[in-house]
Amino acid sequence: MRSGAAAAAAEILLWWAALTALWAVLISAPDPLDLEIGTAAALLTAFAARAARRAAAR
Amino acid sequence: MNGWLAAACALVVGGLGPSLWGAARGTTGRRVVAQNMATLLLCLVLLLLAQGYGRPSYTDLALVVCVLGPAGTLVYIRLLGEEIEKHPPGARLLTPAVTIGAPATVVPLCVATGPGRAMAKLLVIGALLVAGGLVTTRALRRG
Repeated sequence: MRSGAAAAAAEILLWWAALTALWAVLISAPDPLDLEIGTAAALLTAFAARAARRAAAR
Repeated sequence: MNGWLAAACALVVGGLGPSLWGAARGTTGRRVVAQNMATLLLCLVLLLLAQGYGRPSYTDLALVVCVLGPAGTLVYIRLLGEEIEKHPPGARLLTPAVTIGAPATVVPLCVATGPGRAMAKLLVIGALLVAGGLVTTRALRRG
């Protein structure tokens, strides 16, 4: 159970980093406000991405 | 009229037009393949037009198309699976179009754009095009 939670947290952090990087690359001018909003949205999307991966793997 | 616009013109007349024609007529399977080819060519045309006209906002359109195009094809394959199986389409042109056409467009554009975030965006679009093409070709073959 413990390793499951750690693996889940690691995966969500990985998704969060990847999605934030993708957002930072795709917008034309990285305003600090843009990056903050992008980071917050990437965190939510990371949860959705992990859920989608687990649903697709089933 | 520069080289980019001429290439975009050639792609529209020689590729996108026939793809849309094929998507409007024929068996269901052929239409789905034609739709996939049309979205691929549309993305490449938008990239070329972005460079030809000097309007970087068109690459955002290309990004949207390269995500929604293969996703739409997969939705069609899922919904029309049985009809496609009745007359399996030939998808021989898709793989060369993706593996040759996408790099042949993205690499010169990257060279013209120069290093930076715009080039990274072009590379992301190119990678999504190739990945989308591979996924849809495999889904089409599997029926």
